[in-house]
Amino acid sequence: MNQYQLTITADDKQVVLERILQVTRYRGFLINGMNAKVNTGTNTGTIELMVKSERSIELLVDQINKLIDIKEVKVDNSATQQCSA
Amino acid sequence: MTSEKKQTGGSVLFNVLQQHGVEHVFGYPGGAIMPIYDALYDSEVQHFLCRHEQGAAFSAVGYARASGKVGVCLATSGPGATNLITGLADALADSIPVVAITGQVATSAMGSDAFQEIDIFGLSLACTKHSFQVTDVNELPKVLHQAFAIALEGRQGPVLVDIPKDVQLAEVTKSLEDFSQLKNKVKLPPANVGSAIALLSKAKQPILYVGGGVGMANAIDELREFATITQIPSVSTLKGLGAVDPEDENYLGMLGMHGTKASNIAVQECDLLIAVGARFDDRVTGKLNEFAPNAKVIHFDIDTAEINKRRVADAAILGDLKINLPALAIPLSIEAWQQKCRQMKVDFAWQYDHPGENIFAPAVLKEISDKMPKNSCVTTDVGQHQMWSAQHMLFNDPSNFLTSGGMGTMGFGIPAAVGAQVSRPTDCIIAVSGDGSFMMNVQELSTIKRFQLPVKIVLIDNAKLGMVRQWQDLFFDGRLSETDLSDNPDFVMLATAFDIKAQQITKKSEVTAAIEEMLDHDGPYLLQVKIDAKDNVWPLVPPNTANDKMMESI
Repeated sequence: MNQYQLTITADDKQVVLERILQVTRYRGFLINGMNAKVNTGTNTGTIELMVKSERSIELLVDQINKLIDIKEVKVDNSATQQCSA
Repeated sequence: MTSEKKQTGGSVLFNVLQQHGVEHVFGYPGGAIMPIYDALYDSEVQHFLCRHEQGAAFSAVGYARASGKVGVCLATSGPGATNLITGLADALADSIPVVAITGQVATSAMGSDAFQEIDIFGLSLACTKHSFQVTDVNELPKVLHQAFAIALEGRQGPVLVDIPKDVQLAEVTKSLEDFSQLKNKVKLPPANVGSAIALLSKAKQPILYVGGGVGMANAIDELREFATITQIPSVSTLKGLGAVDPEDENYLGMLGMHGTKASNIAVQECDLLIAVGARFDDRVTGKLNEFAPNAKVIHFDIDTAEINKRRVADAAILGDLKINLPALAIPLSIEAWQQKCRQMKVDFAWQYDHPGENIFAPAVLKEISDKMPKNSCVTTDVGQHQMWSAQHMLFNDPSNFLTSGGMGTMGFGIPAAVGAQVSRPTDCIIAVSGDGSFMMNVQELSTIKRFQLPVKIVLIDNAKLGMVRQWQDLFFDGRLSETDLSDNPDFVMLATAFDIKAQQITKKSEVTAAIEEMLDHDGPYLLQVKIDAKDNVWPLVPPNTANDKMMESI
């Protein structure tokens, strides 16, 4: 099981957070932690998502990138690690 | 449209639909969508009243698939909206551009468990490409334009727009011309043409694996040109049928669970698999790690997320097939491989000799295929009849074979035929159904009757849920659990009750005359074809098995 940290920039639109969480669950990733905030004055939000899965993180990044309101998805490689569960 | 004339949310909807060329919509009215239906009263858009919202959704899907246009369906809040969900899921799985409009309770009542209130916006997340809920009528034009843009751009799909009742009634106060286009946010990496050319040049036994994306990209001419120049033997997915010229001598037919023996063996033996708008679906690959085990892969697609999803690509060609296919069309020297594939096609050709007087469904479907007018459109439901149709009928365009591929939705065929017939009123539309599937949306016979749509229904009737029965016989020790439908209604009487001419046949000797009568009939027609309940679909690749280990009989 690998653990990854994603930093997602999204338009500040209705249910964008729900969309990200739904895709994350459906594509086989467990959420370990999350921070989300609206970026004042830019109509965007930033979501930091800590996820773990046996699947390649690229599969999740590609699926989140397909969501209409997503501007950017970055994987923080320094936070990527193996975990036992 | 100008901002001088006051418009309500309801009238704005139909103005925007007309701006996008929408002439026909499918729907069912109800409380929370009444202002929209009131605006429809003054609109030039023609509404087709279906008898269930699921029928409306599938009719929109059939309309879109048969015409290449966006399909539009309408439903009220609560149960009306939830009844759309199966059709939207079907459209998402098969990448069909549909815009669904749902009424919602008034914004002041939202979140109060009001009558016929459901969070369809929340429910839509898993079954649409995107969805909107509009709480300001001035936003409605922009949202509707965006809905059409999203439905059509890139990999196509369904979009839902949920409109509360007060927003439908409210007057627009800002200019309707002021809407922003969606930016194309999907940035595709450069196509890996050089690597792909190198793989093609080295290949001795390449196979062209053609999926539904070819038709969706309107790249049938480019694909056929590619096949002609390269002379690569080709196979097709269920949704790709019609993209390759079925008369092409290098075309081997459908691959996968019920694919042709020649297709499956050729794919297993190939050294280069060129996937074009295909996604390595589990019904195609069988046991994934034994699928085309010695092949390198070139993968053409419009969707970045399909690359490396189930099979790693040695060269990914992302983007528009109309541009990318010609870039790789080079002549190859693969004569020995071509000859081998052509010989397999001959050796493993379908056989239609069938003992006894009972009707053999594959032969019936082949005869219909041979006799139906050029450019006929066939819809199917899901089950044995669907696979027999895919195997034994020939199509010259994917828009002439509409079947629920990804979702495998029983009940698809009749309403999809309604939509197809509305979009192509002069073409022959044939719905091939099974007795299980037929009953799932049988109410749509009333839509056929109301609009006198000349849909021909071929009902393959074995008084079973045939595909499940087949699997119970093969893989569950013959324990036939809940698959008996011997108490079906009298289908001829049922059709007659809907003012649809109908006939039942039970013997081979009746087949030819019955097909001719059906095809010659001016209006809607139901042909009930009784078959042996024990007939199976062959070949069959058992679950989690390599495709070359197919069963061909019990």
